[in-house]
Amino acid sequence: MKDNHTLTYILFVVAQMILCNYFHFTPFVMLTILPVLVFLLPVRHGTASAMLIAFATGFAVDYFAEGTLGINALSLVPVAFVRRALIETICGSEPFEHKEDITIRKYGFAKILLAVIIVQSLFLAIYTVADCAGTRPLWFILARFGASLLASVLVSMLIVKPLTNVDRR
Amino acid sequence: MPKERTVASKLANAVILIALEVTALVLLVNNGKMQQIWMMRVSHGFAAKTWGVSQDISNYFSLKKQNDELASENHRLEALVRDYRQTLESSDKSLEPVLADDGFLYTPAKVIKSGTNSQHNYLILDKGRNDGISENSGIITSKGVIGIVDAVSDHYSYAISFLNTEVSISSRLGESGTVGPLSWDGMNPDGALLKEISLQYKFAPGDTVYTSGYSVLFPPDIPLGTAGEARIINGATNEIKIKLFQNHSAVKYVTIVRNTRAAEIQEIEEGPQEKEGNKK
Repeated sequence: MKDNHTLTYILFVVAQMILCNYFHFTPFVMLTILPVLVFLLPVRHGTASAMLIAFATGFAVDYFAEGTLGINALSLVPVAFVRRALIETICGSEPFEHKEDITIRKYGFAKILLAVIIVQSLFLAIYTVADCAGTRPLWFILARFGASLLASVLVSMLIVKPLTNVDRR
Repeated sequence: MPKERTVASKLANAVILIALEVTALVLLVNNGKMQQIWMMRVSHGFAAKTWGVSQDISNYFSLKKQNDELASENHRLEALVRDYRQTLESSDKSLEPVLADDGFLYTPAKVIKSGTNSQHNYLILDKGRNDGISENSGIITSKGVIGIVDAVSDHYSYAISFLNTEVSISSRLGESGTVGPLSWDGMNPDGALLKEISLQYKFAPGDTVYTSGYSVLFPPDIPLGTAGEARIINGATNEIKIKLFQNHSAVKYVTIVRNTRAAEIQEIEEGPQEKEGNKK
């Protein structure tokens, strides 16, 4: 079970690298699934280990994909930092008490969607500001943030099921 | 004990977060030229703001010392003004006239009598023919135009005050603006009307009005007042309310200005007219 999740996680990280390398549709959209990968890490990972995983994941994507080294790591670590508090706020403390991972079947589509929107927003806010580095106007930053959020939430919701089904098997 | 562990673990998480974020930021700044410039700008802005705040705090704490210094300076200047005033009041020939480069002769004078209550106000000054004063000299202060000398005796001058509905002086709106006649509004001792200002000329309330220098009576660029509301007259020109700097009900000391080149200007003005007359 543990190995299955690790393998799936690595596959999705590779998928993200491919996305970064080959799928440049428009400068207004940055497609990412990294925040949802970190958010749906098994609950046995505490905040510290989640942050280290997030940093390593972000660094790997930065290193192997086209991008500025450090930008994904910078944006992903805060997602791992707020992960536990976010799960407790949206799903309650049950996942940690019973060591049960989060699934759509148990907590419902709406709660997972809300959590995905929040983590994507946090990630994209940091990513967009750092990527634009004070060279773009505010309207561009806001437009890019909005379009990226919409696209990334849609793609993220598609991978929630395969990610969470791993643990049930 | 568990509570202490929670606090310690939160603290540890915060430290890890900061360490990882700083590492990521260092990586980002070292690998992205744009990000490097951005970070430099942010850090310089932060440093400038911090220094600015510390300077403000330092200035605040030195206010008392500055106040003491200003009070002492004020005291010294008041004493100086008192001395000058005593000199002025005790001597008839208090200050000698000064001839400036612009051809105007400036003679300080004291107002003996003045009125502000009628529509045709006048002034009597303590300088007359024996002091070099002649008819058609201007009367000014540093805050504006006071009037025009109308008649002189040996020791006194009779002047028509600016607070007289028949007096108007050539004035300019703004540093290099349009010119029009300025006259008293007939109501307030500090109110006037600037007339015949073209509708095309754009001005803003608060613009300063100066003497134009087109008249031989007054030197140019004496600030007179500030522009207020305007109204359109006959659909052709603006009439602007002016708030005068000089309150005419409180004038004690003035300066009489006489244009020493007035005769020369008049001669050159009349010359072509006479020639045209002779031709006819």
